[in-house]
Amino acid sequence: MIAEIAGRSIAGGPRGVRRAPDLADNAVLVARELLSPTVARLVVRPDAGVGAFVAGQYLALGVRVDDGVVQRPYSTASDPAAADAHEFLVRRVPGGALTPRLWALPVGARVRLGPPKGAFTLVAGDQRPHLFVATGTGLAPFLAMLRTLARRPNPPRTILLHGAASAEDLVCRDEIAALAVGGLPLTYVPTVSRPDDPANRGWRGRTGRAETVLASVLRSDDLPPVALVAYLCGNPGMVAAAENALLILGVAPGDIHAERYWTAPGDTSAPGRMLDTGRA
Amino acid sequence: MAFVIAAPCIDHLDQACIAVCPVDCISHDPAADRKAYIDPEGCIECGACESACPQGAIMLDRRLPPAWAAFAEIDRGWWIDPEWARDAVDAQAA
Repeated sequence: MIAEIAGRSIAGGPRGVRRAPDLADNAVLVARELLSPTVARLVVRPDAGVGAFVAGQYLALGVRVDDGVVQRPYSTASDPAAADAHEFLVRRVPGGALTPRLWALPVGARVRLGPPKGAFTLVAGDQRPHLFVATGTGLAPFLAMLRTLARRPNPPRTILLHGAASAEDLVCRDEIAALAVGGLPLTYVPTVSRPDDPANRGWRGRTGRAETVLASVLRSDDLPPVALVAYLCGNPGMVAAAENALLILGVAPGDIHAERYWTAPGDTSAPGRMLDTGRA
Repeated sequence: MAFVIAAPCIDHLDQACIAVCPVDCISHDPAADRKAYIDPEGCIECGACESACPQGAIMLDRRLPPAWAAFAEIDRGWWIDPEWARDAVDAQAA
């Protein structure tokens, strides 16, 4: 309650009862698949069907806790033209408010799913080469986009650069390979940012953070940066660095689309935001 | 803790924030309101609205400058008593 605002009295403060939103459970967890020790694929089917959504959008996924709902946004990896459920990539955050609960939830459990939201979507009809750069579970919207592009009769050339600290978190590689086999002109470049970690012993692929290998990936694929459209998704540090690298390479600012998943470590101004708190 | 929509929204009402909020905790009455309001009980601090607002009107409550501090209560109040909130917005805009 405030008694005075900008020198004027607003007598009594607000009166009444808060209008509580309808947060009833409206979907069911139909599958959970462990893709790595820390990343799972959750498949959630809304009671009313998936409805209309666009590749790249996100939905709030929530579970009931006490008398409320803990919910966080996750990008759907599902193909809007073929899905009867939403597929989410979820990283378990120890001590997080939501993800440990999602991992413990039995298949068949009721959950809360919000409406599809967000404008991180493909530009309609764009036939230029598409560069997708993801870290971690930032892969999810690109799976939806690649599946969408793969349905086009004449899909554009695509490059997917996926970075992770650990090779085991380079998930969904079989699905990605299947898209390429199915006719999508796709170059898939996984990269591991901590090659010296014992967990990555045996990794023979590319090493380095996604943003640092960008230029060499484009060179080796003979792709002039000025001719492509770029989509970036993942942690804000990668997104900022990759955006900067692409600008230096000559990509127009308007041709770089970005979705940031969580606050960079050290940003204490927004503790935990977008990190089990988020789409991570 | 929540995001708050402050003075720059008044009479602009771009509504980009409403389009991106994953938990539908931003609203307004187009026939009566001069700004949009965030429900602090529903806000999950994802920051999507802050990034989307072309006016730079949205910030965390703990980051509000003193001149806009009242908007935290105004946003909270709208979900209880919209008329009170509208009067408070008018006072801010005066």
